[in-house]
Amino acid sequence: MSDNENRPLGLYIHIPFCNRKCDYCDFVSYSMDSKAQQLYLEALFAEIDMQKSKFVDRVFDSIFIGGGTPSIVYEGFIASLARKIYSSFHFLEKTEFTIEVNPSSFTHEKFLEYVQAGVNRISVGVQCLDEKLLREQGRIQSMENIEETFKMLNNSLFTNVSSDVMIGLPGQTLDSVMSTINYLLKQNIKHISTYTLQIERHTMLYSKLRKGKITPMKDKTMETIFNQVNKALVKEGFVRYEISNYAKPGFECRHNKKYWDDEVSYLGLGVAAHSYIDGYRYYNTKRLDTYIDDLNEGKSPVYKREYVSDEERRTERIMLSLRTSKGLDLEKFKADFNEDLLRTHADIIKKMTDKKMVEVKDNFLKIKDEYFAVSNSIIVELL
Amino acid sequence: MNRLEKIRNFCIVAHIDHGKSTLADRLMEYTNTVAKRDLSDQMLDSMDIERERGITIKLTPACMKYKYNGEEYTLNLIDTPGHVDFSYEVSRSLAACEGAILVVDATQGVQAQTLANVYLALDANLEIIPVINKIDLPSADIAGTKKEIEDIIGIPCDEACEISAKTGLNIESVLEAVIKNVPAPKGNENTQLKALIFDSYYDSYKGAVSLVRIFDGTVKAGDEILFMQTNKSFTVTEVGIFTPNSSAIDQLTAGDVGYIAASVKNVSDTKVGDTITLKNNPVEKALDGYKEATSVVFCGIFPLDGDKYQELQDALEKLKLNDASIHFTKETSLALGHGFRCGFLGLLHMEIITERLEREFNLEIITTAPSVEYKVYDNKGKVYDVTNPSEMPPMANITKMEEPIVKMEIITPKEYLGGIMDLCSDRRGVYHDMQYIDANRTKLIYTMPLNEIVYDFFDKIKSISKGYASMDYELAGYQDSQLVKLDILLNGEICDALSIIVHKDKAYQRGRALCERLKTVIPRHLFEIPIQAVIGGKVIARETISAMRKDVLAKCYGGDVTRKRKLLEKQKEGKKRMRRLGSVDLPSEAFVSILKLDD
Repeated sequence: MSDNENRPLGLYIHIPFCNRKCDYCDFVSYSMDSKAQQLYLEALFAEIDMQKSKFVDRVFDSIFIGGGTPSIVYEGFIASLARKIYSSFHFLEKTEFTIEVNPSSFTHEKFLEYVQAGVNRISVGVQCLDEKLLREQGRIQSMENIEETFKMLNNSLFTNVSSDVMIGLPGQTLDSVMSTINYLLKQNIKHISTYTLQIERHTMLYSKLRKGKITPMKDKTMETIFNQVNKALVKEGFVRYEISNYAKPGFECRHNKKYWDDEVSYLGLGVAAHSYIDGYRYYNTKRLDTYIDDLNEGKSPVYKREYVSDEERRTERIMLSLRTSKGLDLEKFKADFNEDLLRTHADIIKKMTDKKMVEVKDNFLKIKDEYFAVSNSIIVELL
Repeated sequence: MNRLEKIRNFCIVAHIDHGKSTLADRLMEYTNTVAKRDLSDQMLDSMDIERERGITIKLTPACMKYKYNGEEYTLNLIDTPGHVDFSYEVSRSLAACEGAILVVDATQGVQAQTLANVYLALDANLEIIPVINKIDLPSADIAGTKKEIEDIIGIPCDEACEISAKTGLNIESVLEAVIKNVPAPKGNENTQLKALIFDSYYDSYKGAVSLVRIFDGTVKAGDEILFMQTNKSFTVTEVGIFTPNSSAIDQLTAGDVGYIAASVKNVSDTKVGDTITLKNNPVEKALDGYKEATSVVFCGIFPLDGDKYQELQDALEKLKLNDASIHFTKETSLALGHGFRCGFLGLLHMEIITERLEREFNLEIITTAPSVEYKVYDNKGKVYDVTNPSEMPPMANITKMEEPIVKMEIITPKEYLGGIMDLCSDRRGVYHDMQYIDANRTKLIYTMPLNEIVYDFFDKIKSISKGYASMDYELAGYQDSQLVKLDILLNGEICDALSIIVHKDKAYQRGRALCERLKTVIPRHLFEIPIQAVIGGKVIARETISAMRKDVLAKCYGGDVTRKRKLLEKQKEGKKRMRRLGSVDLPSEAFVSILKLDD
């Protein structure tokens, strides 16, 4: 543990505002005016003030502002937030600073504000370029917005741009996904996240599914797309460093890697944010009004704290490490959990190795690219 | 009038649902044996399952007092189970009586089980008292029902009682007919004790209690008695009668029906059909008609959760305390682990026991395909009784095989005749006879292999005839047969719990159906899983469960980790509930699927 305590932390800040919630989204978001945004910013400041004393001896090397739609908040919000965190926590010189933007609200003014605030990585929520599909999912951006956003980014010196692509939208085809990918490849993008659609409860999509209004994508189609995308991106020099994440060498997202890496701490601020600090998980309230009220009254917005047991740590280690291209460090696993997976799960590992689903190399166990699509089943075999 | 002349021992025979139990309740109510307020519907059926199905399995006698023409009579009603599985028990109950009430539903007429039971009663030389029930219903056809009884069974019906057991209409006429027409028992109370056990049950205080009809002599507490078949002796602790709860009396004498408790530890010592006599003054010859209860249908029973093996054993032992006809021995299956091979009197018996295990003992169980007892002859001249497909000798060594057959009687409205005959011939039935019961109904007689009816034959008959046809069967010996053992291979490994013995001509169809069904119930795995139906090394059918295509969690950031971990843990739990055979996980539905191939 002490090792981990010396490693730089990540800082996540949640911006819970959206113009409209996308049908597939189950992240916490509210559509609110600038008054509400102002109140939220004040509450964030209060939470930062409450937390900062605990981190005087620690350093951070990544910041991630996610949402919701961080680009929707009024001009000056992000700059002000950045000043506040710089004055409250210690950051390494080359800290990665990411912000998620939506083409519909990402303006030139905001771009300048972010860069001046220190943002050095921008993640553009594209998801899909099929306007019909996008409209069906309730996303508001248009093709025009997307083109303007990339034009703006390409005309600047800003290079570290990432984009999200969604796979598995009802009605989506291989062609539609590939045309999105090809479009992004032309935009000098350094990082692409490909998400398979998960139909979560409490989403519009879920209720549409229940009412029979949509048909989910077939597993076989999803698998084909998943693997075709992989091929196309690898051909263009991208490295798949995690199941859903591709980057040109040197452009992996440092912040996200902390989630998959062994027990690196991160601090989450804002409504519905989670933290993992030295073996404990903290959950902030998911209600915006409670979050604001609690902090106004000087109370902590954390509603749950739990210690991750050894058994759970073991599960998470397997689950998270096997998502990455690096794989699971068997030596370290043995040292940490006193278990030689190659012995305790010899049969199934042999079987999966024979079928070329996984490989064991230099004491790392990893899932082969073509079998990332069934990673859950593989992981479950090892739990 | 002497003592014997004021006793009547009788039973009620009827088809399911014709109102036997309701009539018994009404008789007890009219004789004040049970106060109306204590009468839960169908007093004599003491088990929940029986009550739910409207059938009686366990016999509970009732001793009633009734005044007629100034004399008080003792009426001993011995209820009989209405199902063929228990026909031996029925025959012993009938042997304890001098008369039988034949209840026929006026809206349905004579049915298959009416016939089966009435023939048993006639064979036992009982005086039959016809009773037409449900005459209050608008669809009752009293005259037609009487004519049927006269035509088919040959019992005159001019004096038949016409009643409604439900409303209590004309119940006295039944009591009077019993007194007038059922002969009084004969017997000598001053000679050696001769008592017939027609049932027994286990009481945690009294031990195994014998239900008896005393033919000769007297028995009382303190007597040393001898069970003639088992040749074991015990000292009587209590004798009594059922009113209908047990109540102790001083002694039981010739002609009486009652119980004998003698601290017998095990119901297997109080065998139905055995004769009880006094140890010091025994009769020379036991009563005729004793038979060992033999198992006819067999299946494996395994706990769904392998850790519950001991609980399953305890439950089976508890059930056996009250039902000596259940047989079970340990069985180990590669696919299902430790469990029991169980033998039953018939299909209903099997169903009742498995249901009681689940309901009364809260056990989740997996039952394998029901089997019958095959006789297999090998080239060394040895004969094997095979009840478990996995015990079948190698095909190459087998010279001859025999399978049990039954005589099947089905009564059906004529519009379903075609469908039912098709079903019978599909099930390898051999047609024997067709008799017209009336303008509308026909009785079909077939012989058919027992293994063709152990799955779902009864359900099929019911669904073809929309519930109108009825059936009954009795064992009719063995016949030569071309049988094969059909194995199922999953990913190349035999799943022993799915093996069945089947007729050669049916093997292909069965194998294919089974493969198809398994394909739908076994979830996709990481690997492709071939399912093969194999006979003696030859593959006769094959299906493939293709490998899983997609099983991946999307984003996995931050606090999501806990949620995703929980999802995987749940997935892992689901796997643990399945049975693992080699690298294949089998849900319990896979084992049930073998029973439901025709759906």
